[in-house]
Amino acid sequence: MDSPARARRFRPGPRLVSLLVGGAAAILVLYPIAFLLQASLSVGDPQARPPEAYGLDNYADLPRYGHIFANTLVVAVAASVMAVALGFVMSWILSRTNVPGRGGLEQLMALPYYVTPLMGALAWSLLASPSGGFLNQLWRAAGGESYLIDITTPYGIAWVMALFEGSVAFVMIGAVMKSMDPALEEASQVLGAGRARTMLRVTLPLVLPGVLGAAIFVFAEMLGSFSAALVLGLPSRFYVVTTAMYQLVSQYPPQFPRAAAMGVSLFAVMFAMVWIYRRVVRAGSYATITGKAFRARAMDVGGLRWPLLAVCVVYLGIAVVLPVLTLLYASVQRLATVFPRADNFTLANYATALSLDAVRSALGDSLILGLGTATVGVLLMGFLAWMIYRSRLPGVGAIEYVLMFPQAVPRLVFAFGMLWAWLIFPIPIYGTLWLLLIAYLTVFLPLGLRTIAGVMLQIDRSLEESAQMCGAPWGYRLRTVTMPLLRPGLIAAWLLLFIASVRELGASILLTGPKAKVITPTIVESWFSTSTELTAALALLQTLAVSVALALLFTVARRATQPAGE
Amino acid sequence: MSGEPTPAPGRRASIEVRDLVVRYGSVLAVRGVGFTVAPGEHLTLLGPSGCGKTTTLRAIAGLEQPESGEIRIDGQPVFSSSPRVRVPAERRGLSMVFQSYAIWPHMTVFDNVAYGLRVRKRPEAEVAERVRGALGLVQMSELAARRASRLSGGQQQRVALARAFVFSPAVLLFDEPLSNLDAKLRAEMRLEIKELQRTLGITSLYVTHDLEEALAISDRIVVMRDGMIEQTGTPTEIYDRPRNRFVADFVGSANLIEGRLRPDLAAEGLVAIETASGAIVRGVAHDRRPGARPCFSVRTVHVRLSRQRPPAQVNVWPAIVRRRVFQGDFTQYHADWEGRTLVVRGLAAEGIEEGSTAYVAVEPRHCVLLEE
Repeated sequence: MDSPARARRFRPGPRLVSLLVGGAAAILVLYPIAFLLQASLSVGDPQARPPEAYGLDNYADLPRYGHIFANTLVVAVAASVMAVALGFVMSWILSRTNVPGRGGLEQLMALPYYVTPLMGALAWSLLASPSGGFLNQLWRAAGGESYLIDITTPYGIAWVMALFEGSVAFVMIGAVMKSMDPALEEASQVLGAGRARTMLRVTLPLVLPGVLGAAIFVFAEMLGSFSAALVLGLPSRFYVVTTAMYQLVSQYPPQFPRAAAMGVSLFAVMFAMVWIYRRVVRAGSYATITGKAFRARAMDVGGLRWPLLAVCVVYLGIAVVLPVLTLLYASVQRLATVFPRADNFTLANYATALSLDAVRSALGDSLILGLGTATVGVLLMGFLAWMIYRSRLPGVGAIEYVLMFPQAVPRLVFAFGMLWAWLIFPIPIYGTLWLLLIAYLTVFLPLGLRTIAGVMLQIDRSLEESAQMCGAPWGYRLRTVTMPLLRPGLIAAWLLLFIASVRELGASILLTGPKAKVITPTIVESWFSTSTELTAALALLQTLAVSVALALLFTVARRATQPAGE
Repeated sequence: MSGEPTPAPGRRASIEVRDLVVRYGSVLAVRGVGFTVAPGEHLTLLGPSGCGKTTTLRAIAGLEQPESGEIRIDGQPVFSSSPRVRVPAERRGLSMVFQSYAIWPHMTVFDNVAYGLRVRKRPEAEVAERVRGALGLVQMSELAARRASRLSGGQQQRVALARAFVFSPAVLLFDEPLSNLDAKLRAEMRLEIKELQRTLGITSLYVTHDLEEALAISDRIVVMRDGMIEQTGTPTEIYDRPRNRFVADFVGSANLIEGRLRPDLAAEGLVAIETASGAIVRGVAHDRRPGARPCFSVRTVHVRLSRQRPPAQVNVWPAIVRRRVFQGDFTQYHADWEGRTLVVRGLAAEGIEEGSTAYVAVEPRHCVLLEE
């Protein structure tokens, strides 16, 4: 055996490739953040670049915007409370009681997430704006005074965000409830504690860390949320931090440094939130996470089943069916009104939408970007996930930390950093789809990583080790064992990335240029500058396009993976 | 040859481990372990969970990075802290059977077994032939086309075995391969593995916490505790002559009898100990030096319990039977003897009532002096 002196062709080892890819991904994240910080410290001419002078003036100026921070806090707190309450109730009903149709309902609970806050905000604006909202029209027709609901208030905005985020809270809290060993509760009951006492002394303490974690996570997301506040708050000049930043950047002359300072403060708060979230989740993981899948014990709630079922159905109705139907109804009218009139119905909005070049190219570009982001993203994030959770190379912990950064940065803030970062980049990608591709890959890193990691952590490490013991080099192992086993995770990540990119707003709205328009900012633009009815048609067309693209891809993928004749 | 990982087929390699230290964070999992496995030998690392046996095995496999020490396979260093050598697992020419079987669920049984051969780029005809042969040896020929996700635990174990030896590795490593099987299947597979080892004659290193398994399949056993070696020897040596209290206790059930040495009573190659209550127990020293607290180990099966006084001159005492526990193949008695409890295992047939007086007797050759 002449192993040390063995002549081998040069093949890049896992170390080198990991260093390159991990390093590149980290730069992707840190580069814009550095520029964001730089911009926030610029105190000379706000347009000058690089900054003429550095100082803390922009931060010192922030108290002037105190009311905006207060607005943000009110909206975020209200929305988080509602979302967590919704999520808690739904997950308790669906994982702990014997309501009919649990399995199906659980799948449907993901739908509000796909409705997106933007569509929700458009629909709810149609439903409950004080003057023309459908519900308020009905109210007046029934003899009411002025209006019943005003969705443009902080609580209205919070309501729209909570309906959407409730689905996220549901998934997070549901996971905790399901991972709890029912034997823990049974033990309490066998020892003589009643149902109420068991709930109070055993169930609640066990679930609490998970609920708290979900609450903090949701709160951080709400602090950085953008689209609902933009659509509902902008007309009445109600600003939260993200919309204020957008305003500062898009007004003339733009106030970059001040917006950057705002973004950095938001980033700091969200970063702290995500940090606390991780602490809570880690500290509270006792007893509930045993790595074993339990069949959650369903409590027999007797006749209460039907009211509980009704609660779930009503939530889905309000969060999904109502908004979609509202948009559909508005999109086929000349002038959106709740009372149907035969001469008011038209398909002209769709005809207009499809005939507009700007819309057609934006939709096309969005789909191409979605394909690109999803495909490149899955390869990149699949490798990164393997590197972080499997390779056991030194320093991967730090890289994971950096790659999870975008979770704590509102996409708008991130895009702001990129705006500056890539403007001075020697290769002219500014104002092209490439910049958007890079932006999407960066901001969706945590989403893709978490999706793939979820599956990867379920794959026993020994499956890869046994390939290694069979003599397979790392590339061969990745190709023959890791990747095939990861397939469900990779497909899920691909779909999520595709959907998320096509509907992305926060980052896109700042990074689109005349030569690179994507669909979601186009919808927002249409909302503010053309008609509501046309916007409704656009929003539905976007959803339709995503669905059709996914259906097509599924068919193609199934054909491709099914060998002929089998 | 570019990346060819195997030595010549059928080659038996030796394993040498010297001063191996493995650290997990701040915990020393293995602290200075050293042993040698001769070509073709079957060595077992035995010990309770957390003793470092699996870590040692994984370090030899290359799946764990030791802190210091040296590992040689077939005389060639595959790991060494100085001079620095680190041969990755896939180029050590070893093979391994995992505790979780690690059968790839997305492949058929055939593809699982063929993996190691395909990695080595063997022609497909040879692959087919050797996989058929390997599956035949583990009696899985009929299931070659089945998806591996649809196998029972025992079947997965057989596939894992076939996959591990099909490419004629120089060394076969076993990481508690039977611990996930039920008792009956485990006893069956134990015999099959032993049979297979003898047929193939591959050097093997086996890790288990199960004494019977270790005794049944090994040429030699290394008993480990807390990351260190307690005793090395053949199965009979380990069982009959445990070196210290830990080995005596871990390897089968034993009574430990402490006392002070009575050199004045030593005669005919026997040593004598006087217990605290004054009983004189004679036993064998095997040239060992007793520790600070001299102690005999007496296997529970070697103690005889009878109603009549046996004829022997030494090591016979009266005792009172306190508990009798029927355990199927044997009956376990707890007897009051010299102010302490002596555990005795006897055949189920000879019943002695609880509370009755009886005689306990042990042949001196079964009282083994411990070193510590």
